[in-house]
Amino acid sequence: MPREFAFFGILIPTLLPLFFLSIALQAVLDAILGWLGFYRMVWHPSLVRLCIFVAIFGALTLSIYK
Amino acid sequence: MTPASAPLPLPGPLRQAARWLAQALTDWRASEGERWIFVFKTLVAAFCALWLAYRLGLDSPSTAMTTTIILALPSSGMVLEKSLYRVGGTLLGCLAALALIGLFPQQPVLLYAGLALWVGLCTSGATLYRNAQSYVYVLSGYTACIIALPAIDQPTQVFALAVTRAAEVGLGIICSAAVSSVLLPRHQGTQVMRTVDARYGKFLAFCQDVLQQKLTPAQVEVTHLQFAADVAALEHGRSAALFELSEAVSHARGQNRKLHAFNASFMTALTTFYTFHRLYERMRREGESPVMQACAPLYAIVAEALQATPSQDSLDTMQLHLQAALAEARQQIKAANVQHAQRIDFDTACELLERFARDMSRFHAVYFSLRHGTPLAITAPQAYAPKTPPALVIASGVRAALNVGLLALGAYFLAWPQAGVAMLMAIVFCALSASSPRPIAMVRGVLIGFVLGFPLSFICLYFLLVHADGFPMLMLSFAPFLAVGLYLLTNPAKAGIGLGLAIFITQVAPTNVLHIDGAGFLNTSIALIAGLILALVVSAVVLPEHTMGNKDHVGRALWRETLRACTASLRQLRLFGQHRFDNRMRDLLSQLNAAAGPAPGEETRAVVRQALTLLEIGHSVLELRDLIATSSAGATDEAVLALQRCVDSITGWLRTRSETDRQTALAAILHAGGAVRAAQAKCAPERAVRLQTALADLHSIYTSLLDNMAQDAGDPHAA
Repeated sequence: MPREFAFFGILIPTLLPLFFLSIALQAVLDAILGWLGFYRMVWHPSLVRLCIFVAIFGALTLSIYK
Repeated sequence: MTPASAPLPLPGPLRQAARWLAQALTDWRASEGERWIFVFKTLVAAFCALWLAYRLGLDSPSTAMTTTIILALPSSGMVLEKSLYRVGGTLLGCLAALALIGLFPQQPVLLYAGLALWVGLCTSGATLYRNAQSYVYVLSGYTACIIALPAIDQPTQVFALAVTRAAEVGLGIICSAAVSSVLLPRHQGTQVMRTVDARYGKFLAFCQDVLQQKLTPAQVEVTHLQFAADVAALEHGRSAALFELSEAVSHARGQNRKLHAFNASFMTALTTFYTFHRLYERMRREGESPVMQACAPLYAIVAEALQATPSQDSLDTMQLHLQAALAEARQQIKAANVQHAQRIDFDTACELLERFARDMSRFHAVYFSLRHGTPLAITAPQAYAPKTPPALVIASGVRAALNVGLLALGAYFLAWPQAGVAMLMAIVFCALSASSPRPIAMVRGVLIGFVLGFPLSFICLYFLLVHADGFPMLMLSFAPFLAVGLYLLTNPAKAGIGLGLAIFITQVAPTNVLHIDGAGFLNTSIALIAGLILALVVSAVVLPEHTMGNKDHVGRALWRETLRACTASLRQLRLFGQHRFDNRMRDLLSQLNAAAGPAPGEETRAVVRQALTLLEIGHSVLELRDLIATSSAGATDEAVLALQRCVDSITGWLRTRSETDRQTALAAILHAGGAVRAAQAKCAPERAVRLQTALADLHSIYTSLLDNMAQDAGDPHAA
């Protein structure tokens, strides 16, 4: 994947749309996990949320370096 | 586990020392520890943002750091809420700046006019809403200035400036949000529940104190003022708590609806209690009478039920007891052959007590359900509607626009290289102080912080940072100075100073390529302080009386609001009705409270007295109008016509507030009282109950008109 792309003539780092994409993915996953009651079983829900987000974002950004 | 609780094989004195130490540590954790954790968290967020800004090569890393200071709030819900609004405001401001520069490239005067208009509109919006959303307005106003003003002479740069600003603010926000909700989080939801508990206890204690006559009238008024502020504060806390993700979204929504119901039922109970209290005081002033004797056991029943922590059962029993005692007291009064006037007092007191018992029972049910998460039937969740007097909204917009226009022209023609910095500071702080009840005090606090920050950041930059090598050393040289500011921020009385100090220090954070420029530092610092002085001068000179919660404006708005309760169309009444009226009146009172500070004066208390009376009149009028509206379908019977005339004459009095209109209103109420009583004698029982309510309402309007709105005496019993 290219590191930057032109959006209406503006160079945008690919990280930015990936960041938004991971927010969207995280929101979906979060709703499912919340519905399943997963967060009641963990010690620090917000930390878990952050870690899941970092994992998603990290996995997506790896594709840039491929 | 504390060392004291473990069975340690220690000799006596050592164990005692360990226990003492554990005690001291627990104390520290609850008081000072809370503040130092806040300082630590904010420092972590600030340095994360700074490091990332360096790493990503952003142009002015200090903006990212300043954002984390601005978002330094006690609970994670509040941080998330303000973060969201800060993102929105920044993006909106960037768009506005791009549009303005695009419309007027290299046309300073037109651009200034456009900016002034934009900032004026935004500031008005902020004053109008006054909740957390108002931050969006403030921010979009001054972000447009921050981007557009440096770009006057090089319009091609404006896009880069906007992107940089948005990126840096975004970075600071992400750092703050992540740190505040992950690192030792302090949940807003728990805070809200604590507030709810405190309010419940406070209200019960207040009712008991009043029933036992422990409070002076001044204390009662101040307590009512505080309750109004509590209602508004809970409302803000509630909206912030929504941003915290709990286990399930549906739970948060349910909790949110219950909090609305909590506030609403609290306001209803408080108003009923005030009406009752006023009647009670008047009867007490008139001395011992058969009515007082008959009522005494009733008060005792209510006071006793509120004494211990009441449960739903005890409140239900209280209602049953009260009804039995009421029946007995009615018999007693009937037998005692008292005067007509006193009988009316007695009837009203009974009606109000019953109403209060119902309200309390509802209030307790909502509280119980909030506390224990049990389901609760809530009809329509009604939002709390803030209300700002329109004169203040317009005044704040005009002040901000004038400020931007004058400062921009001055800076442009002054040819002072740092004028831009000074001006931006003045604009930012004028906009921020617009929605504060005491703008001058706020700007003065920040100014003191800036003045203190000047020497501190000089020491930081030229004695510490010049020897520092690498990012960890930079952190070490900044941290102590920043910590002082943040620590002050945790003290509400010194929050302004702390904010100023911390912002000043983050403003001088070095750029990516460190260059030491003593003259530049001095120039910028002087410009920053000059900007604050300008903001102080502007807020002291331009329309200084038109500030949020000014008692004259609040007083006038209270009258207008009551008049609206009388004149609003029936459809509006059905949609919003009492709830909105209650809301708005209390919101005005909470503004008054914020502006009055810790010790409200006699004039403020007079406004509170007036507000309580108007609240009572408004409530009664709304109930009368409801009765008229529901019974007008039937026929044009005498009582309904008389009530309608009565409402009309009260409306007339509220409009003019003249003595003649007051007399007309009093006469109309007397007439309506007679007509309703005549109708009550010959109608069905369920309608008789409603007419009884109407009689109590008429009585309370009549006595409020006599008691508080005029000094001259009159016979308060005739209605």
